[in-house]
Order: sequence, then C-alpha cells, then structure tokens
Amino acid sequence: MIKKRESFFTYTFLILVSVLSIFPLVWMIIATTNESVDIVGGKMTLGTKFLENYANLTAEQDVWRFFGNSFKYAILTTVLSLLVCSLAGYAFEIFHDKWKDLLFKIILMTMMLPFVSLMVPLFQMFSKANLLNSTLGFLLPSISTPFLIMMFRQCAKSFPLEIIEAARIDGLNEWQIFIKMFMPTMKSTYAAATTITFMNAWNNYLWPKVIMTKGNSQTMPMMLSSLTSGYVTDYGMLMLAVLITTIPTAIVFFVLQKSFAEGITGAVK
Amino acid sequence: MSLRKKQNIMGWLFLAPGVILILCLSFYPAIQALMLSFKTGTGTNMQWCGLHNYMRIFQDKVFRQSIKNCLLYLIIQVPIMLILGMILASILNKPNLKFKGLFRTAIFLPCATSLVAYAIIFRSLFATDGFINAILMKLGILEHGYNFLSHPTSARIVIIIALIWRWTGYNMVFYLAGLQNIEYSIYEAARIDGANLFQTFFRITIPLLKPTILLTVIMSTNGTLQLFDESVNLTMGGPANASISMSHYIYNKAFQGVPNFGYTSAMSFVILIMVAILALLQMKVGDKRD
Amino acid sequence: MKKKIIAFLLTITMVISLVACGQSSDGSGEKSTSGNSSDGGDKTLTVWAWDKAFNIYAMQEAEKIYQKENPDFKLNIVEVAWDDMQTQLGTILSSGDYSQLPDILLMQDFAYQKYIMTYGDLFQDLTNSGIDFSQFSEGKVANSVADGKNYGVPFDNGTEIAAYRTDILEQAGYTIEDLTDITWDRFIEIGKDVLDKTGYSLFSSQAASADILMQMIQSAGGSIWKEDGTPYFVDNEILKESIKVYKELVDTGVMARTNSWDEYIATFTSGKTLGAINGCWIMASIETAKDQSGLWNVTNMPALPGISTATNYASQGGATWGITSNCKNTELAIDFLNKTFAGSKELYDTILPSSGAIATWTPAGESEVYAEPQEFYGGEPVFQLITEFATKTPVFNTGIYYTEANDAIAVAATNVCAGADIDSELKTAEETVSFNMGN
Repeated sequence: MIKKRESFFTYTFLILVSVLSIFPLVWMIIATTNESVDIVGGKMTLGTKFLENYANLTAEQDVWRFFGNSFKYAILTTVLSLLVCSLAGYAFEIFHDKWKDLLFKIILMTMMLPFVSLMVPLFQMFSKANLLNSTLGFLLPSISTPFLIMMFRQCAKSFPLEIIEAARIDGLNEWQIFIKMFMPTMKSTYAAATTITFMNAWNNYLWPKVIMTKGNSQTMPMMLSSLTSGYVTDYGMLMLAVLITTIPTAIVFFVLQKSFAEGITGAVK
Repeated sequence: MSLRKKQNIMGWLFLAPGVILILCLSFYPAIQALMLSFKTGTGTNMQWCGLHNYMRIFQDKVFRQSIKNCLLYLIIQVPIMLILGMILASILNKPNLKFKGLFRTAIFLPCATSLVAYAIIFRSLFATDGFINAILMKLGILEHGYNFLSHPTSARIVIIIALIWRWTGYNMVFYLAGLQNIEYSIYEAARIDGANLFQTFFRITIPLLKPTILLTVIMSTNGTLQLFDESVNLTMGGPANASISMSHYIYNKAFQGVPNFGYTSAMSFVILIMVAILALLQMKVGDKRD
Repeated sequence: MKKKIIAFLLTITMVISLVACGQSSDGSGEKSTSGNSSDGGDKTLTVWAWDKAFNIYAMQEAEKIYQKENPDFKLNIVEVAWDDMQTQLGTILSSGDYSQLPDILLMQDFAYQKYIMTYGDLFQDLTNSGIDFSQFSEGKVANSVADGKNYGVPFDNGTEIAAYRTDILEQAGYTIEDLTDITWDRFIEIGKDVLDKTGYSLFSSQAASADILMQMIQSAGGSIWKEDGTPYFVDNEILKESIKVYKELVDTGVMARTNSWDEYIATFTSGKTLGAINGCWIMASIETAKDQSGLWNVTNMPALPGISTATNYASQGGATWGITSNCKNTELAIDFLNKTFAGSKELYDTILPSSGAIATWTPAGESEVYAEPQEFYGGEPVFQLITEFATKTPVFNTGIYYTEANDAIAVAATNVCAGADIDSELKTAEETVSFNMGN
C-alpha cells in the first residue's frame, strides 16, 4: 500500500517535471507548422505551414551542409576531448602529489575568467600561428577543458586503488591499466561526458564565428544567428531550424542515457 | 629508476596533452589579459595605468549592481537546482521505474534546447497577457496582468526560474553517472534496516556522491557568476540594469560601446577572484583526501 | 610497448602544443591563411553585411550591374549579424591583424563615429575618391564624416515614419490626416480617445532602448552632446521634454512598452497597437502581416510641443558602406561603389520594389519607381513621401559614445516612468556616460 502511494507520487512528480521540461520543445514543434505572424502572435495550435517553412528554409540556407559541418566538428571535438581530458583527469587523481594538486588548481582557475577577455589575446595567437579560418583553429580551444578534466578527476576518486595495485602486480603497464581497467569501469562517466561534450561542441558559437572571418565552414548555430540577423525574422523558418539543431543532442542523450544511468556495476537487475 | 619515480613520470605524461593545451590556450591569454587590466585607453591605444582600472570598478554603479545580481542568482538558484537535480537523479536511478529513458531525456532536454527558442518562449510565457498571468488571474492571485520583465524583482525571479529550468537536467546527468558507482545493494540493505527514503538519501546518496557534488557546485558557481545568456536574451539586463549580469555588462563594454579592453579585463578578473575564492572554500570542504 | 606509448603521447603533446603555441612550421600553410582581402590581380572583393533580403540583396544586385562592364568582377558576400560584426571587429582590430577584415563592410550609422574615432585606420579616406558626396542627403553623409574627411558611402535611408492601420483609426473616427503634422500633445489626446474606443495603443517601443527618445530629440533639432563632446543631459530642455512626453505616453497607455524585439514586432503584426513609429526599414516587418494589406498608411511623426525648433522629421537606423584599410584593391572598390551605390539609378530602381531599400542618393528619388502607388499602404506612393521626409530631417550628431548615451537615457526614462524624479535621473545618466567616457 505504502509502496503504491509512493510510486503514485513518484510518477506524478516525474510527469509534472517532464511536462514542464518539454513544454518549450512542444511549443517549438507547433511553431514549425505555423507562419511567422502567428508564432509571434502566440498561436498554440498546429498549423499547415510546415512544408512551406521547410521549403523556405532550404531555399535560403544550405541547412544540411551546415548540419554536416556541425556534425563533423562536434564528433571531432568530442573524441579528442574525451581522450585528452580523461587521461589528464585520471592522472590528476591516481598519480596525485602536491605539485599536481597545485597545477590542478591553476588549471581550474583558467575557466573562471570570462571568455570575452581571452578572445583578443587568443585571436592574436591564432593569427600568428596561421590558424584563423582553419578547422584546427576552430577545434583547439574546446578540446581540453578544466570542466571535463575535473569531471574525470572526480570520478577517478571512486576507482579502487587496489585494482590498480593488483594490475601492476599482474604486469600491466600504466597505459594498459588506463585503457583496460579504467576506461571500461568508467563507462558511465564516459557516456555522460560524451553527451555533455557533444552538446557543448554542437552549440559552440562565439569563437568559431570570430575566427571564421571568411564565412566558410558554417555551422548550425551560425545559421541560426543569420536567420535572426535581418530586419525581418521569419519565425516559422527559425523555429524549424532550431528544431533541427536540437534533435541531434536529444538523440545522443537518449541513446547514451542507458549506459550512463545503468552502467557498469551490474547492480541493477 | 624506482617504481615510484616511473609512475610519477607516467602521471606527468598522462597530464601533458590536456594541461599543455590549457596552459597555451587559456593560461597564457589570461596572463595577457591580466597585463591588459593594468592598462587603459580605447581601441589599440593603451597606456599603463597601474591599479587605476581596479579602483575604477568601485565607482561603477552598474557593475556593482551586476555583482549583486549575480550573487543573488547564485545564492537562490544554485542550491535549489542542485538539490532538485539530486532528487530527480535518485528517483530516476530506481531499477524498477518504468519509462526511465523517456523521463530522463525529457528532463535533460531543456539544456539542449536552443537559446533562441527558449528565450522567446519564456518571454511570451511571462508577458503581460501571457500564460502565467492568465493562470494567476484565474486563481484569483492577481487582478490585472503583471508585466514580470519590467519590474526589478520579478525580472530577477524570471531569470532564476529560467536557470533552474535549463540546468537542473544537466546537473542530473552528473548525479546519475555518479550514482552508478554506488552498489544498489547498499540501498537494499538500508531499506531492510528500516531506513526511509529521506534517511537513505541523506546518509547514503549524498555522502557517496560527494566528489560529483563538489564538481557540480564549482561548475554552477562558475556558471552563475559568469552568467550571460539569460541576462542578454531574456531580460536584456533590464529593467534599467536591474537584472544585468557581470559578463553581460563586460560584453557590452567590450563590444557594444567604445571599447576599453583594459577596464573590461579588470572586471573579468574581479569575476575570477570571486569564483576562485568560492571554489577554494568549496574544495576545502569537499575535496579532502583521507 | 612502453616506449611506443611514451612516443605516442609525446607526439600528441608536441603536435598539439606546437600548433597551439604558434611556433608551427610554415609548412602547415593552409591556403585560407592568406587573409581576407584580394590582392592586385584578383577582381574579387569580400563584403560583410547582415540582411539577406535587404543589404546583401542590394549588394548582389550591385554586383550584377557592375559585372556588365567588368565581367571578371566578383563579390564574396559574408553574412554577419550586426552584433557578431561588432564582436568580430572589436577582436580583429584590437589584435592588430587587419588582414582578416573584409574589403567592404556595412556599418550601422550610429556606430560609424565610434569606429572612426576609436580605430582611426579601419576605414579608408574617400574624400578625394571621385565619389560625389553632395548627391547624398546631408544628414546621412554626416554620419560617416570626421574632421572633414569622408569615410563611407551611404546606403539605406532610415527616415522616421509613423505607420498606422487606417481601418482601426476610422472606427475611432480619425483619418491619417488627423495624425499628420501634429504635436505629441495632440497625439496623446487622439491616442487616449482611440484607446478608449477601440482598445488599441497607437504604437509601441522597446523598454530597453531609448531609440524613440533619440528620435524625438533629433526631430526637435536637439543634441545630447555639448560642443566639447561631453554629455549634455542636465538642463537639456529638449531631452527633458522628450522624457516627459515619453512618461505620459506610457502612463496613458498610448504607447505600449515591450521587453524584446519579437514582442515589439508582434504588437503591430498581431494587433495590440494600430501603428508603429520607427525608421522606414520597419515597413518590411509591418508587411509580414499579409492579411493587413491595404489597411496601412504612412505619415510623419509627431513633433515635440513647446520647442521652437521642433519638426516632424527624424531618422533611425540606416547603414553605410565603408572600405577597410585591408582592401588592397582600393581603386576597384571605389569604382564599384561609385558606379553602383553612388551612381546607378538602375540599382536603386531594382532594389526598391523588391526589398524596400530606400535610397539616400538623391538622384534615385527622382525615379518614377518611387512615385508608384503601394498596394499595401492603401495605394499611396509612400516611397515618394519618405524621400520627401528625408530632405527635411534635421542633422543629428550621434557622437562616439552613442550606445552608452542611449543605454543611460533608457535607464533614466525607465526610472522616471516608475516614479523617479526626472532631474536627478538625468544627472545620474550624465554621470554614467561621463564615467564611461573617462578612462
């Protein structure tokens, strides 16, 4: 009886929170079927303009090419970041000493400065290094982030040291321990980190926009910005573009959430 | 070479790629920004001015207002958001719950929703003739529609609500991932011992999630003190700068008006100092190695 | 094995860090690094602008016209939103790498002085370029002139218009003539009556911006700057009167205040206000409500009461083309602009009907295209009317610190509407701007 009441409350609560969470998304989907005037006017019912909005959007913007660009950058960033940051986070915890702890704090401090004030010096550096308007220039600043390093450092705290000792006795070297023991054990953290990194990379806007001065390599966020840059904004088109931009992150999350929420311990049966 | 030494070297090697990238791409520009904060001038025409920019901050009424705003957001929003995120994560971690994937995805979606869309929706929800006003009037709480975004207190509340809405699911992700390292059998045992939901939550979940909690607390502190999107897109800092955030003000000063990058750098370092102090305190409490 | 790993890690580290720290070998040389500008032989110019349906479209048409005589001429037009352009320009100019600038860029008129004065070498001096600046309206050219030197070729016209829904006005017993050549006092009288009878406000504005106040000041021939360039807010009768009018507009509900741009647009496209008072480029937004075609009409804005110099004309927005110092092919760029935006009736005749871009180049206004009746505005030749307004608009000095002044005045107006004392608010606003101007 208690259990039933408890689960009734649980579900009511969850449904309530979920409805609140997806409300704007639902609104967005509805908006893609209406024309601009109705959307800003607050129309909340399905319309018939979806195909028209799609036709307008694809006529004005090369949506699927930008989608491809975004995808390429997001995947590259995610793979590189996970590799680089998990190594660093692991090392900060497993091999920690006084100096590494201090270094970690310095690393952490660098994220506390608003990016706005780093932009000019960074641009200078990239200009000297001939990295403007290049893929590498686009990616580099988002590969290693204090946030991801800290995330892996924190999760490495729950990685039992005895396992490492045992593995060392078995003759595995440090690299093998990382690859064969740490990575599989921390599958859930990797999955969560993938989701978050993918999302951040997918939405990355300010820096790429600033260094891509020739307007090459447009991505989805850049396209969204151009859709709102004119004197007149077509909200039907814009909402459709926003929806297309949102879907990949949602899919990545949906696919990965099982592995980070019902991960490794096998306790869930 | 001793084993210890070898391990130490391996440790540095593992660190190297990530750390070097950050040192080159964040630390080095940060030092340049620091130097710049001791200079003043417009555009490229800068002179040394010592601590002048930092003294100037004390006279800047708008920046002082923005500091107050950010601290208010921090104090109210971060605890609510993190606790809510933790509660949701522990509910969604239950093994026998149905539609878990759907619930999780739904709750995560806000932070994946593009800013453009969500700003429009929030503004129209809180508009004078918007949905929220309609409900409040139906319930008899309000007599006339209230223009939430044009009053200082309510504009700040809208920002806080928007932040909670957007980032709770995001933080939930870390807790969900963190919870996987706790054997479910511990819960079962606690349950058999007669512990109720609250007891298990406070005695088992929270202590075991400590590393993750520290991560989210530091990141949220940093995120809130560097708040930008909501201030720019939801309230435009208004009414009359009542809800403007520090980063928003810095951005305006750097790129909208006549730029003085010396002064904007100095303001950025004020943010850094504030976050750094809070983060150090948080690490003191949460990052002990026993 | 171990050696391999160490070697692998070292390579990653070296590659990434070398590239990142900028000591990369020249061999990496991607072609894209050669900067934005074209060099001598190439006849391609890079252009930054921000509206596909408006200024980018105009550029494309200009390209076509110029190509008739210069078949190998080409434009590379990059779409850059105005806010992004400010960020990008600020970053590029401060970093000193001008090679990333385009050859030609479009700039908002209100920001022109700021960029000329802050980054003296951003734009090339066009004074002796052969472009006849006397053919543009005086107030417009003034935006891109500093110390007697001309730094830009004017593009679109931001003449202030007041557009109203004549059908709703009629319901309340008024016509467009009743709203023509009037003062704000009369406007508020009519507005209250219309609001009572129909429930519509006459127009709306964005709470965060002081644009409408700036337009009032300009229309009365006022200024927000003293001769020496310091802010002139305290004891500025015109500014004070403007804020008084503003407060009354808000108190009476004749003007609806909105919190954002999309809400602003919605007020007149989906019926909360029956009009809009803004630069004439707002017509493109009005026209998105296709079902209201024929119901709108255009007239001039109200004048400030009790001010001897008051007129019914101002301007808001509008933009100007500038040639950057990164342009290596200056002659080509000048010739291109001279033969199109500063010399082609054909160009303006093409872009007016399809995009509503009204010229500031006076000869274009004589074209018969401007006299054509516009169906959306009840068959009136509104473009002719607007070019007429343009000639009567007083010159307004935006100053270098226009954005700061606009923000501070908006704050003052918001506080006055919430009950604060007007004189002390103006004093605070003046202090804020002075503070921003000090280093």
